[in-house]
Amino acid sequence: MSAYRFAAAALLFATPAMAGNKLIVPGERIAVAKSPLTVQPTSEWNRLGARRGRNAETWTIDGDSLNDLTFYGGIETGKPLFREANKRSKPLPTVGATMLVTDIPVLFENTYRIALGTATMTVGTIEPVTFAGAKGVRFTYDFVREDETLHRRGEARGAFVGGRLYLVTYEAPALHYYDRSVAAARQVAESARL
Amino acid sequence: MRTIAAALAATLLGAVPLAGAAAPVADKIAPLPPYVAAYQPTNVDERGAWMMADEYERHLRDSPEVIRDPALNAYVRGVLCRTVGDDRCKGVRLYILHIPAFNASMTANGAMTIWSGALLRLRSEAELGAVLGHEFGHFELRHTVEGFRNQRRGTDVMAWASVLMTNSAALQVGVLGSLYRFDRGQEQAADMLGVRYLAGSGYPAAAAADVWERMMSEADATAIGRHRKADQRYTAGFFATHPTELSRATYLRAFASGVDGGGSAEGVRYREALAPWLPMLLTDQIKRNDFGGSEYLLGRLAADGWTTPLLFARGELYRERGNPRDLVNAAEFYEQAIERGDAPPEAQRGLGLALLRGQQTDAGKAALREYLRRKPDAADASIISTLVAS
Repeated sequence: MSAYRFAAAALLFATPAMAGNKLIVPGERIAVAKSPLTVQPTSEWNRLGARRGRNAETWTIDGDSLNDLTFYGGIETGKPLFREANKRSKPLPTVGATMLVTDIPVLFENTYRIALGTATMTVGTIEPVTFAGAKGVRFTYDFVREDETLHRRGEARGAFVGGRLYLVTYEAPALHYYDRSVAAARQVAESARL
Repeated sequence: MRTIAAALAATLLGAVPLAGAAAPVADKIAPLPPYVAAYQPTNVDERGAWMMADEYERHLRDSPEVIRDPALNAYVRGVLCRTVGDDRCKGVRLYILHIPAFNASMTANGAMTIWSGALLRLRSEAELGAVLGHEFGHFELRHTVEGFRNQRRGTDVMAWASVLMTNSAALQVGVLGSLYRFDRGQEQAADMLGVRYLAGSGYPAAAAADVWERMMSEADATAIGRHRKADQRYTAGFFATHPTELSRATYLRAFASGVDGGGSAEGVRYREALAPWLPMLLTDQIKRNDFGGSEYLLGRLAADGWTTPLLFARGELYRERGNPRDLVNAAEFYEQAIERGDAPPEAQRGLGLALLRGQQTDAGKAALREYLRRKPDAADASIISTLVAS
């Protein structure tokens, strides 16, 4: 029984064939998440080959469990944020055509609750912000992954442009790592343009 | 992810999860066996299982998922003690986990967990007692160690088979099947012991059957809400670790019918004790992206009438699905909650956002202004202000 389930669990966490990780050179404006979204970092980052979804891309400094800057580039109506691990029994919420900016944090929170299997995920402050030239939202969040005790903190910026959702999230362990790279992550998120 | 990871963890730890339950009907209730306290592991298998269970319990000590509220813990423990008796419940450490699904488990060393989703779905002390008694039954019958031994024997056979035979697929299937059947037998035994505790506790013994019947209905509602066929299986498949809910409900009902009356199920007392937790439990459920199951659950909870927290939760459920027809319904539910006079400020927020999404701009803004008036320091006050101003 355990062997059977272990195989199932291993499949769940398996990542697709990797294109390889790549160093992001500071100062250049580059397109992210296979989308029209571009950013211009002023410090070095590493782009991970593994992607959470078709239109997602993750950057990190020390490894994605220590600092994770993820771009979601133009998620269409009816699509979830991530690739669904189990579409049948754990479908993820999808982007809706009539969604308001206040629905972005809700969509993100519910996606994390289901995908990470944790009810500890909560959204903190939600503020208006200009993101990629559009009227958007900035929100903070906190969570602990399933079966862990490490508290993680995050900050996200998002907006709907032309009916598609653009979102940049930064998350890291609240202890040490979050504060260490939050300035660099904010700089990248604030440089976003469409 | 949760179910598989949890099931894997539970298997490794020797915990016996509750989900899914069938047993032979006893002709009459035998007296409960005498209980031996402070049992110590006696052999290498048992010591191993206990060591892993101890480690799991150490993890629970620091886990943010454990709900540590003293009043709630005392209440749930009180029901356990009434069900299984004081001498049996004394050694149990009870952990209430903040996980919005229906489950409970018990490890070999006597650590019992119950998930917050179970507290939301149960309706009375008798039902809670039925679930906790079932888990205690596994512990008293030492199923966790038996299961561990049986599994080890099974996997040893498979390891040898793969070395000795090039094509051992048929044997693997046979061995796997016996493991699952063993689990179903254990579940039945624990069910029957659980219902005997219940019979001796003064709670009505039929409560156990009610739990399984509602679980079937909820699973059907979830499937239909996701545009699938209701796939509730009414016979246990080859790989099923638990009897089907239908067979569980049937044999438990048959057993209960042979037991004299029983006392009150204490449904009112249960609702009162859970009332401070209801908003959190409902919020967790709404966020599961399970419209059909949540709608079914809200309907069952509202069997005695729609209360303010239930109306508010239903508004949130419909607003999050967000079809134009859902937004109309959501606004109606929020309004009904507000009319009752004791709705939280968030009901105005939900009403405003539902109306805004439904193109009723002026009425929506008015509701949002009311939300800001009642909760000026809300975490989302600034973004709501921009929606009102736009």
